[in-house]
Amino acid sequence: MNLASINWPLLIYSVFHAVAIAVYLGGAIAMEFILMPAQSAIPPAQAQVMGEKTSDRFLKIVWGALAVIVVTGFLRLYELNFLTAGWPPFKSPLDFDHSYGRTLFAMLLVWTLLVLNGAVMTFVLRPRLSGRMAAGTSAAQATSSQNARISAARWVQYLSRADIVLAMLAVLLGASLGLGGLL
Amino acid sequence: MDTFLGTVHGLAWAVYVGGALIMELVLRHAQVYMRPSQVGVVCQRAGQRYRWWALASLAVLGFTGALMVLRLDGAELAARAGSPALSLDDSYGRTLVLLAALWLVLLAIVGEIAFRVHPAMHARVSSSMSEQQVRRERRRMGAAIQRMNRLLRLELAGALLALALGTTLRLGGIA
Repeated sequence: MNLASINWPLLIYSVFHAVAIAVYLGGAIAMEFILMPAQSAIPPAQAQVMGEKTSDRFLKIVWGALAVIVVTGFLRLYELNFLTAGWPPFKSPLDFDHSYGRTLFAMLLVWTLLVLNGAVMTFVLRPRLSGRMAAGTSAAQATSSQNARISAARWVQYLSRADIVLAMLAVLLGASLGLGGLL
Repeated sequence: MDTFLGTVHGLAWAVYVGGALIMELVLRHAQVYMRPSQVGVVCQRAGQRYRWWALASLAVLGFTGALMVLRLDGAELAARAGSPALSLDDSYGRTLVLLAALWLVLLAIVGEIAFRVHPAMHARVSSSMSEQQVRRERRRMGAAIQRMNRLLRLELAGALLALALGTTLRLGGIA
Protein backbone atom coordinates (compact mmCIF):
# COMPACT_ATOMS: atom_id res chain seq x y z
CA MET A 1 0.00 0.00 0.00
CA ASN A 2 1.37 3.45 -0.86
CA LEU A 3 0.47 6.81 0.62
CA ALA A 4 -1.27 7.99 -2.54
CA SER A 5 -3.87 5.22 -2.26
CA ILE A 6 -4.87 6.16 1.30
CA ASN A 7 -8.29 7.73 1.80
CA TRP A 8 -6.94 10.74 3.70
CA PRO A 9 -10.28 12.26 4.79
CA LEU A 10 -11.38 8.88 6.20
CA LEU A 11 -8.04 8.51 7.96
CA ILE A 12 -8.19 12.01 9.50
CA TYR A 13 -11.80 11.53 10.65
CA SER A 14 -10.89 8.12 12.14
CA VAL A 15 -7.96 9.56 14.09
CA PHE A 16 -10.04 12.44 15.51
CA HIS A 17 -12.86 9.98 16.31
CA ALA A 18 -10.49 7.70 18.26
CA VAL A 19 -8.82 10.59 20.11
CA ALA A 20 -12.22 12.06 21.09
CA ILE A 21 -13.41 8.70 22.47
CA ALA A 22 -10.15 8.29 24.40
CA VAL A 23 -10.47 11.82 25.79
CA TYR A 24 -14.08 11.22 26.85
CA LEU A 25 -13.74 7.78 28.42
CA GLY A 26 -10.19 8.07 29.72
CA GLY A 27 -10.94 11.54 31.04
CA ALA A 28 -14.01 10.31 32.93
CA ILE A 29 -12.03 7.42 34.43
CA ALA A 30 -9.12 9.70 35.38
CA MET A 31 -11.49 12.22 36.99
CA GLU A 32 -13.21 9.49 38.98
CA PHE A 33 -10.24 7.34 39.99
CA ILE A 34 -7.28 9.75 40.01
CA LEU A 35 -8.41 13.31 40.69
CA MET A 36 -11.33 12.61 43.08
CA PRO A 37 -9.21 10.54 45.52
CA ALA A 38 -6.44 13.17 45.31
CA GLN A 39 -9.00 15.86 46.13
CA SER A 40 -9.95 14.09 49.36
CA ALA A 41 -6.39 14.58 50.68
CA ILE A 42 -6.76 18.37 51.09
CA PRO A 43 -9.00 20.48 53.40
CA PRO A 44 -12.72 20.65 52.35
CA ALA A 45 -12.67 24.34 51.36
CA GLN A 46 -9.67 23.80 49.06
CA ALA A 47 -11.16 20.55 47.79
CA GLN A 48 -14.31 22.44 46.78
CA VAL A 49 -12.25 25.00 44.82
CA MET A 50 -10.32 22.20 43.13
CA GLY A 51 -13.56 20.27 42.43
CA GLU A 52 -15.20 23.29 40.82
CA LYS A 53 -12.20 24.17 38.66
CA THR A 54 -11.53 20.60 37.50
CA SER A 55 -15.23 19.93 36.81
CA ASP A 56 -15.68 23.17 34.86
CA ARG A 57 -12.67 22.42 32.70
CA PHE A 58 -13.60 18.76 32.27
CA LEU A 59 -17.19 19.56 31.24
CA LYS A 60 -15.84 21.78 28.43
CA ILE A 61 -13.59 18.92 27.29
CA VAL A 62 -16.55 16.49 27.49
CA TRP A 63 -18.79 18.64 25.28
CA GLY A 64 -15.98 19.09 22.76
CA ALA A 65 -15.32 15.34 22.69
CA LEU A 66 -19.03 14.47 22.28
CA ALA A 67 -19.31 16.93 19.37
CA VAL A 68 -16.18 15.56 17.66
CA ILE A 69 -17.37 11.96 18.16
CA VAL A 70 -20.71 12.47 16.41
CA VAL A 71 -19.41 14.75 13.63
CA THR A 72 -16.46 12.51 12.73
CA GLY A 73 -18.70 9.43 13.11
CA PHE A 74 -21.09 10.70 10.45
CA LEU A 75 -18.23 11.93 8.24
CA ARG A 76 -16.67 8.46 8.42
CA LEU A 77 -19.97 6.86 7.36
CA TYR A 78 -20.15 9.30 4.46
CA GLU A 79 -16.58 8.48 3.38
CA LEU A 80 -17.39 4.76 3.63
CA ASN A 81 -20.33 5.39 1.25
CA PHE A 82 -22.91 4.32 3.83
CA LEU A 83 -24.70 7.69 3.74
CA THR A 84 -26.35 9.49 0.84
CA ALA A 85 -27.72 12.98 0.39
CA GLY A 86 -31.15 11.56 -0.65
CA TRP A 87 -33.92 9.82 1.31
CA PRO A 88 -33.51 7.52 3.17
CA PRO A 89 -30.02 8.76 4.00
CA PHE A 90 -28.78 5.38 5.23
CA LYS A 91 -27.58 2.79 2.71
CA SER A 92 -27.07 -0.93 3.31
CA PRO A 93 -25.68 -2.18 5.70
CA LEU A 94 -26.96 0.75 7.79
CA ASP A 95 -30.40 -0.78 8.45
CA PHE A 96 -32.02 -3.01 11.03
CA ASP A 97 -31.61 -6.07 8.77
CA HIS A 98 -27.85 -6.02 9.29
CA SER A 99 -25.91 -6.46 12.53
CA TYR A 100 -23.67 -3.55 11.46
CA GLY A 101 -26.67 -1.20 11.26
CA ARG A 102 -28.21 -2.38 14.54
CA THR A 103 -24.87 -1.98 16.34
CA LEU A 104 -24.39 1.49 14.90
CA PHE A 105 -27.87 2.61 15.95
CA ALA A 106 -27.17 1.26 19.46
CA MET A 107 -24.00 3.39 19.49
CA LEU A 108 -26.04 6.43 18.47
CA LEU A 109 -28.43 5.68 21.33
CA VAL A 110 -25.52 5.47 23.78
CA TRP A 111 -24.19 8.80 22.46
CA THR A 112 -27.65 10.38 23.00
CA LEU A 113 -27.71 9.09 26.59
CA LEU A 114 -24.25 10.55 27.18
CA VAL A 115 -25.42 13.92 25.84
CA LEU A 116 -28.50 13.82 28.10
CA ASN A 117 -26.35 12.97 31.15
CA GLY A 118 -23.93 15.76 30.21
CA ALA A 119 -26.82 18.24 29.87
CA VAL A 120 -28.25 17.31 33.29
CA MET A 121 -24.82 17.68 34.89
CA THR A 122 -23.99 20.98 33.14
CA PHE A 123 -27.32 22.79 33.35
CA VAL A 124 -29.02 21.30 36.44
CA LEU A 125 -26.51 19.85 38.89
CA ARG A 126 -23.44 22.10 38.41
CA PRO A 127 -25.36 25.36 39.10
CA ARG A 128 -26.74 23.77 42.30
CA LEU A 129 -23.26 22.76 43.39
CA SER A 130 -21.65 26.14 42.74
CA GLY A 131 -24.51 28.27 44.19
CA ARG A 132 -23.43 30.78 46.86
CA MET A 133 -25.52 31.71 49.92
CA ALA A 134 -26.50 35.38 50.16
CA ALA A 135 -25.99 37.45 53.30
CA GLY A 136 -28.93 37.19 55.71
CA THR A 137 -29.74 33.59 54.81
CA SER A 138 -31.65 31.91 57.65
CA ALA A 139 -30.43 28.70 59.30
CA ALA A 140 -33.31 26.72 57.73
CA GLN A 141 -32.45 28.05 54.25
CA ALA A 142 -28.76 27.27 54.79
CA THR A 143 -29.58 23.69 55.83
CA SER A 144 -31.90 23.24 52.86
CA SER A 145 -29.25 24.64 50.48
CA GLN A 146 -26.62 22.37 52.01
CA ASN A 147 -28.89 19.32 51.58
CA ALA A 148 -29.56 20.28 47.95
CA ARG A 149 -25.80 20.47 47.34
CA ILE A 150 -25.14 17.09 48.94
CA SER A 151 -27.92 15.56 46.84
CA ALA A 152 -26.56 17.22 43.66
CA ALA A 153 -23.02 15.96 44.43
CA ARG A 154 -24.38 12.43 44.88
CA TRP A 155 -26.25 12.63 41.57
CA VAL A 156 -23.13 13.92 39.78
CA GLN A 157 -21.26 10.88 41.07
CA TYR A 158 -24.01 8.46 39.94
CA LEU A 159 -24.20 10.05 36.49
CA SER A 160 -20.40 10.13 36.10
CA ARG A 161 -20.22 6.41 36.82
CA ALA A 162 -23.14 5.72 34.47
CA ASP A 163 -21.24 7.70 31.80
CA ILE A 164 -18.15 5.51 32.27
CA VAL A 165 -20.21 2.32 31.86
CA LEU A 166 -22.04 3.71 28.81
CA ALA A 167 -18.77 4.86 27.19
CA MET A 168 -17.22 1.42 27.79
CA LEU A 169 -20.27 -0.14 26.14
CA ALA A 170 -19.78 2.21 23.18
CA VAL A 171 -16.13 1.09 22.87
CA LEU A 172 -17.27 -2.56 22.88
CA LEU A 173 -19.85 -1.85 20.17
CA GLY A 174 -17.35 0.18 18.17
CA ALA A 175 -14.71 -2.56 18.36
CA SER A 176 -17.26 -5.08 17.08
CA LEU A 177 -18.03 -2.95 14.00
CA GLY A 178 -14.71 -3.96 12.45
CA LEU A 179 -16.02 -7.55 12.48
CA GLY A 180 -19.51 -6.71 11.22
CA GLY A 181 -21.29 -5.67 14.43
CA LEU A 182 -22.40 -7.26 17.70
CA LEU A 183 -26.21 -7.04 17.84
CA MET B 1 -12.40 -13.22 20.85
CA ASP B 2 -11.25 -10.55 18.37
CA THR B 3 -14.04 -8.21 19.53
CA PHE B 4 -13.05 -8.82 23.16
CA LEU B 5 -9.36 -8.12 22.45
CA GLY B 6 -10.24 -5.03 20.40
CA THR B 7 -12.45 -3.73 23.23
CA VAL B 8 -9.83 -4.28 25.95
CA HIS B 9 -7.15 -2.73 23.70
CA GLY B 10 -9.40 0.28 23.01
CA LEU B 11 -10.24 0.69 26.70
CA ALA B 12 -6.56 0.58 27.66
CA TRP B 13 -5.79 3.28 25.05
CA ALA B 14 -8.64 5.42 26.34
CA VAL B 15 -7.50 5.11 29.96
CA TYR B 16 -3.90 5.88 29.05
CA VAL B 17 -4.47 8.84 26.71
CA GLY B 18 -7.37 10.21 28.75
CA GLY B 19 -5.34 10.02 31.96
CA ALA B 20 -2.39 11.83 30.36
CA LEU B 21 -4.70 14.53 28.99
CA ILE B 22 -6.49 15.06 32.31
CA MET B 23 -3.17 15.43 34.12
CA GLU B 24 -2.07 18.02 31.56
CA LEU B 25 -5.27 19.94 30.78
CA VAL B 26 -7.36 19.65 33.96
CA LEU B 27 -5.02 19.17 36.92
CA ARG B 28 -2.51 21.76 35.71
CA HIS B 29 -5.36 24.25 35.15
CA ALA B 30 -6.80 23.66 38.66
CA GLN B 31 -3.38 24.18 40.29
CA VAL B 32 -3.50 27.89 39.41
CA TYR B 33 -6.41 28.36 41.85
CA MET B 34 -4.96 26.28 44.70
CA ARG B 35 -2.55 27.13 47.53
CA PRO B 36 1.03 25.98 46.74
CA SER B 37 1.09 23.68 49.78
CA GLN B 38 -2.11 21.94 48.59
CA VAL B 39 -0.80 21.69 45.02
CA GLY B 40 2.07 19.56 46.32
CA VAL B 41 -0.28 17.21 48.21
CA VAL B 42 -2.70 16.83 45.28
CA CYS B 43 0.08 16.30 42.72
CA GLN B 44 1.72 13.69 44.92
CA ARG B 45 -1.57 11.77 45.41
CA ALA B 46 -2.67 12.09 41.78
CA GLY B 47 0.82 11.20 40.53
CA GLN B 48 0.97 8.09 42.70
CA ARG B 49 -2.29 6.80 41.29
CA TYR B 50 -1.64 7.93 37.71
CA ARG B 51 1.69 6.10 37.42
CA TRP B 52 0.07 2.76 38.28
CA TRP B 53 -2.87 3.35 35.94
CA ALA B 54 -0.46 4.31 33.15
CA LEU B 55 1.81 1.31 33.73
CA ALA B 56 -1.17 -1.07 33.88
CA SER B 57 -2.67 0.43 30.71
CA LEU B 58 0.64 0.09 28.86
CA ALA B 59 1.00 -3.52 30.02
CA VAL B 60 -2.54 -4.32 28.79
CA LEU B 61 -1.84 -2.50 25.51
CA GLY B 62 1.33 -4.50 24.91
CA PHE B 63 -0.30 -7.82 25.79
CA THR B 64 -3.53 -7.37 23.81
CA GLY B 65 -1.65 -5.75 20.91
CA ALA B 66 0.74 -8.71 20.67
CA LEU B 67 -2.18 -11.17 20.84
CA MET B 68 -4.03 -9.29 18.11
CA VAL B 69 -0.97 -9.42 15.83
CA LEU B 70 -0.51 -13.14 16.54
CA ARG B 71 -4.16 -13.78 15.65
CA LEU B 72 -3.89 -11.91 12.34
CA ASP B 73 -4.74 -14.15 9.43
CA GLY B 74 -2.64 -13.38 6.32
CA ALA B 75 -5.49 -14.23 3.93
CA GLU B 76 -8.05 -12.17 5.87
CA LEU B 77 -5.56 -9.30 6.04
CA ALA B 78 -4.92 -9.40 2.29
CA ALA B 79 -8.68 -9.23 1.66
CA ARG B 80 -8.89 -5.83 3.39
CA ALA B 81 -8.84 -2.57 1.44
CA GLY B 82 -5.36 -1.95 0.03
CA SER B 83 -4.29 -5.59 0.63
CA PRO B 84 -2.01 -4.89 3.61
CA ALA B 85 0.67 -7.44 4.54
CA LEU B 86 2.69 -8.28 7.66
CA SER B 87 5.97 -7.29 6.07
CA LEU B 88 8.46 -4.45 6.31
CA ASP B 89 7.93 -3.93 2.57
CA ASP B 90 4.37 -2.91 3.33
CA SER B 91 3.05 0.20 5.08
CA TYR B 92 0.99 -2.00 7.46
CA GLY B 93 4.03 -3.91 8.72
CA ARG B 94 6.13 -0.74 9.07
CA THR B 95 3.35 0.99 11.02
CA LEU B 96 3.18 -2.00 13.39
CA VAL B 97 6.95 -1.86 13.98
CA LEU B 98 6.73 1.89 14.60
CA LEU B 99 3.89 1.31 17.09
CA ALA B 100 5.94 -1.31 18.94
CA ALA B 101 8.87 1.13 19.12
CA LEU B 102 6.60 3.90 20.41
CA TRP B 103 5.19 1.52 23.02
CA LEU B 104 8.73 0.90 24.28
CA VAL B 105 9.45 4.64 24.39
CA LEU B 106 6.22 5.28 26.34
CA LEU B 107 7.04 2.45 28.73
CA ALA B 108 10.48 4.00 29.33
CA ILE B 109 8.94 7.43 29.95
CA VAL B 110 6.31 6.10 32.40
CA GLY B 111 8.98 4.00 34.12
CA GLU B 112 11.20 7.09 34.48
CA ILE B 113 8.24 9.07 35.89
CA ALA B 114 7.13 6.31 38.26
CA PHE B 115 10.44 5.14 39.65
CA ARG B 116 12.78 8.13 39.41
CA VAL B 117 11.18 11.51 38.88
CA HIS B 118 8.08 11.10 41.09
CA PRO B 119 10.05 9.90 44.13
CA ALA B 120 12.59 12.70 43.54
CA MET B 121 9.80 15.30 43.85
CA HIS B 122 9.32 14.60 47.55
CA ALA B 123 10.94 17.18 49.84
CA ARG B 124 13.49 15.93 52.32
CA VAL B 125 13.90 19.03 54.48
CA SER B 126 14.46 18.76 58.24
CA SER B 127 15.11 21.31 61.00
CA SER B 128 18.67 20.02 61.42
CA MET B 129 19.63 21.02 57.86
CA SER B 130 21.72 24.11 57.19
CA GLU B 131 20.33 26.93 55.01
CA GLN B 132 22.59 25.86 52.18
CA GLN B 133 21.33 22.27 52.38
CA VAL B 134 17.71 23.46 52.35
CA ARG B 135 18.41 25.62 49.28
CA ARG B 136 20.08 22.68 47.55
CA GLU B 137 17.10 20.46 48.41
CA ARG B 138 14.67 23.04 47.00
CA ARG B 139 16.73 23.34 43.79
CA ARG B 140 16.71 19.56 43.46
CA MET B 141 12.92 19.47 43.87
CA GLY B 142 12.44 22.32 41.39
CA ALA B 143 14.56 20.44 38.84
CA ALA B 144 12.51 17.26 39.43
CA ILE B 145 9.22 19.16 38.92
CA GLN B 146 10.52 20.66 35.66
CA ARG B 147 11.68 17.25 34.50
CA MET B 148 8.26 15.80 35.39
CA ASN B 149 6.51 18.53 33.36
CA ARG B 150 8.70 17.86 30.32
CA LEU B 151 8.20 14.09 30.58
CA LEU B 152 4.41 14.38 30.97
CA ARG B 153 4.19 16.54 27.82
CA LEU B 154 6.47 14.18 25.90
CA GLU B 155 4.38 11.24 27.08
CA LEU B 156 1.15 12.91 26.00
CA ALA B 157 2.56 13.69 22.55
CA GLY B 158 3.82 10.10 22.18
CA ALA B 159 0.48 8.65 23.32
CA LEU B 160 -1.49 10.78 20.86
CA LEU B 161 0.91 9.86 18.04
CA ALA B 162 0.61 6.15 18.89
CA LEU B 163 -3.20 6.38 19.01
CA ALA B 164 -3.22 8.09 15.60
CA LEU B 165 -0.85 5.47 14.14
CA GLY B 166 -2.96 2.65 15.56
CA THR B 167 -6.07 4.11 13.98
CA THR B 168 -4.41 4.15 10.55
CA LEU B 169 -3.90 0.35 10.74
CA ARG B 170 -7.57 -0.23 9.80
CA LEU B 171 -6.83 1.64 6.58
CA GLY B 172 -3.56 -0.15 5.83
CA GLY B 173 -1.06 1.87 7.89
CA ILE B 174 0.76 5.09 7.13
CA ALA B 175 4.52 4.57 7.74
